[in-house]
Amino acid sequence: MTVVPAQQSGGGGGSSGLYDVLELVLDRGLVIDAFVRVSLVGIEILKIDVRIVVASVDTYLRFAEACNRLDLEAGPRKDPGVPDLVGQMTESGAKGKSKGALSGAAETISDAFKQARDEDGSERERETASRPRARKAAPSRRKEEQE
Amino acid sequence: MSTYVYGITAGSHPPLPEGLAGVGEPPREVRVIGAGDLAAVVSDAPEGLRPKRRELLAHQNVLSEAGAGGCVLPMRFGSVAPDDSAVTGVLAERAEHYKERLGALDGRVEYNVKANHVEEAVLHHVMAENPEIRALAESNRQSGGGSYESKIQLGEMVAAAIQGKEAEDAVVLERALEPVADAVSVGPESTGWLANVSFLVRQDSAEEFLAAVERVRGDMPHLEVRVNGPLPPYSFVEPGPAEPAGTAAGGADAGAG
Repeated sequence: MTVVPAQQSGGGGGSSGLYDVLELVLDRGLVIDAFVRVSLVGIEILKIDVRIVVASVDTYLRFAEACNRLDLEAGPRKDPGVPDLVGQMTESGAKGKSKGALSGAAETISDAFKQARDEDGSERERETASRPRARKAAPSRRKEEQE
Repeated sequence: MSTYVYGITAGSHPPLPEGLAGVGEPPREVRVIGAGDLAAVVSDAPEGLRPKRRELLAHQNVLSEAGAGGCVLPMRFGSVAPDDSAVTGVLAERAEHYKERLGALDGRVEYNVKANHVEEAVLHHVMAENPEIRALAESNRQSGGGSYESKIQLGEMVAAAIQGKEAEDAVVLERALEPVADAVSVGPESTGWLANVSFLVRQDSAEEFLAAVERVRGDMPHLEVRVNGPLPPYSFVEPGPAEPAGTAAGGADAGAG
């Protein structure tokens, strides 16, 4: 009996499930100060990318569009029970289609993992090129998000 | 030759499968080095090891195989000791601590739960609960989509409402699963999910835990809930201030902030 095949991965597809586990492998687990850790330069970028905040003009516009598309028939007048609405939504197949604004980042990550795997030679340059930008963006935005 | 360390087990841990493949290309062979009552699962450390997906999976796979035979304290990916004797030295030096941890985590596994909103469903929620948003959306719609400013304004209101809902749902999710777990560890916040929580679960109550997850899925159909496990107890190896008792409260605070 091994642990791996028994894994339960619900909802998201294979790649996001994989990412969900790799995040733990990278970020948690025992650290012993007498040992060194291999350089995780590339990975730090991935982690920062995922934290780039939702709140941007693009997101606002997208939400506004999405609201426009929503069927409001049931909205203001009848105020149907929320559960009804939700039931309809799941039935009509929202599940697979739109995981939401927020899961886009996870896809970015698994793409990045793929990239890290596929590329060997050019990998290093790419990292150094994209790092400063990502570094600058993340901490300040993250602060805003918390406030 | 430096030594890559996967995890720490009891000295009495059953032998690993033969030829278990570790990190590196070609994969380095995994071996076990003992020190008193403890042992470390290690391999040679490849030169220039990088955090690629293949390597991360190798690390995880070794720990899963080892974990099948009994409790393992998983190392974080990428831990390299100068040589084998440095590893046994650390084991000897901190033997009591690691034995205590192995005892505390024995028969327990980690389940990591991440959740995000199904966008259309949560938009419906937000609209249904928020007359102001509904009114603005309606007026935008009647004016053929609304001006740029009013779209931004609507989007901003929706984003704020969704964020509020995320924090709320994260707490509900955690509360629902907490009773079935021995300990809870809240992972880093990110925009990739609204909740990222690890639960330490007794192996013999794993079914109960998964049943609780199913109930949450049923009760909160606007959430997409992803469960990964059983995993080695990555999030529970260090009895830090953030664990077990304080964690739940800390997580709730973080979620609401």
